[in-house]
Amino acid sequence: MKRGTAWRAVVIALFLLFMIVPIIATALFSVATRWDRTIWPEGLTLAWWVKVTARSAFQDTLFNSMAVALATVAVSLLLVTPTAYWVHLRVPRARPWIELLAIIPFGLPGVVLALGLIRLYSNVPLPLINTPNILVAAYVVLTLPFMYRSVMNALEAIDVKTLSEAAQSLGAVGRRTLLLIILPNIVPGVVNGSLLVFSTVFAEFTLANLLIGTRFKTFPIYLVEFTRFDARQASALAVISFLFAWVVSLAVLWLTGRGGRPREAFGAR
Amino acid sequence: MSAPRRRSRRGGTVWLGLVPIFLFGVAFELLPVLMLARSSLITEHGLGLGNFGRALSPMMLAAFANSIELSLVTAALGVGLGTIVGYAIVTTRSTTVQHALTALADVTANFGGAPLAFAFIITLGSTGVVTLLLQAIGIDLYPGFRIYSVAGLSIAYVYFQLPLLILLIIPALLGLQREWREAATSLGATPTRYWLHVALPILAPSLLGSFLLLFANAFGAYATAWTLTGPDVNLVTVQIAALVRGEVQLDPALADALALLSIAIMAICVAGYQLLTGRARRRAS
Repeated sequence: MKRGTAWRAVVIALFLLFMIVPIIATALFSVATRWDRTIWPEGLTLAWWVKVTARSAFQDTLFNSMAVALATVAVSLLLVTPTAYWVHLRVPRARPWIELLAIIPFGLPGVVLALGLIRLYSNVPLPLINTPNILVAAYVVLTLPFMYRSVMNALEAIDVKTLSEAAQSLGAVGRRTLLLIILPNIVPGVVNGSLLVFSTVFAEFTLANLLIGTRFKTFPIYLVEFTRFDARQASALAVISFLFAWVVSLAVLWLTGRGGRPREAFGAR
Repeated sequence: MSAPRRRSRRGGTVWLGLVPIFLFGVAFELLPVLMLARSSLITEHGLGLGNFGRALSPMMLAAFANSIELSLVTAALGVGLGTIVGYAIVTTRSTTVQHALTALADVTANFGGAPLAFAFIITLGSTGVVTLLLQAIGIDLYPGFRIYSVAGLSIAYVYFQLPLLILLIIPALLGLQREWREAATSLGATPTRYWLHVALPILAPSLLGSFLLLFANAFGAYATAWTLTGPDVNLVTVQIAALVRGEVQLDPALADALALLSIAIMAICVAGYQLLTGRARRRAS
């Protein structure tokens, strides 16, 4: 029994060490005056934080990332929520097709999606290539698995048919059923999906870099630029990214309990 | 009774509600892929496999070898270590500790890309924190090890592979019933035999499915590699990105061929994952 507990403690301790040390190191590095010769930081300072957040590019890129993320969430919500409801209730035969659409993105590396979009639309006279529009479209595709699974899981968890029938027998019709009865019941799923989409888009580098690059700088692009010429300021930006991911993940966990996240998808690798 | 009648009366009109998603899917998901497939087959001399021939040049073959090796190694490490950590988590008595560790896996599985790569530069770079610490106790990581190499990249990849696997495998581990172990033990099975003949065969589909998912996860990754190593490391995604930006040479048809080969590899992994975990789910229910 004793031996049984010992191995577990060792395994968990090593796991914690591996997962936490890089984050703590980055956080400490961002407030260290100098930390490349000694075991501990030579002194503490907030100078890097002040310096990096005072730049107008910091606010601009943060704003750009927020705007793209919000736009993606909005488009994804408008596209996916009614579709999921409709498939679930009215056209179950269409389900395999929609599932296919929601699965393809996760077998599609970001560089490949970017390449395909550029090759397809670079000679098309639409306001797409080199504008944030193409980025939002790409992000809706990238995060389709997140949004679709979140909303579908929520729909499957409630008995939509019985709820709809109950609403109808009480006199509610069509759109009112959807708005007043179904929607409130799937709100956690919808919010969950939106948060996942938002945080994925906020941290995404590949598509942003390849599709519009320097013309419309997002926060991750700003961060990568800094890693090339000022490590200390970059570390402050990395900490901001980490904090952001923590907050959103914990919010999702809190909203859905364990296992609420659709596992099939991954975002910003 | 009313359902079939409604279907025949409305016929295909219910499908109209799906027009937006299909239009969107075709425009931004299917057509780009079909476009790549088409243009990868078009060469200067008409239709042909010439682009794929160039995609198998020594340089590109090395890129595929590196990408596949990196994905195999980090997926194997993720599955091996993750199963052990996952088992430690589910057999922990304190539910608070269980929940806290699952939450940590959940949060860190989402890390990746630039900030993660940078955190590893700070931790294990040439003047990294852990590098200095190890130096102080007499272990010199450098120059034998470099974080900016494929080996260094593997460590960074394991950082997001490990928690992802833990989340994928915990449900399967919870499905292992305590009674099975007790039955095996009472029939005289040693722990090793229990694992070999009972637990692992039951877990096998989940483990293999998760392995494929992790493989795809690593194979398609770009941001982490780019931030950590820049164009130095020869991976398929790095090559495609370089071709997209025209950094090396303007050869879009080659990029298309590379992309199509990547899609084929990813598709096999994703389909395998779906098949295996679908079967595991059906068995569990």
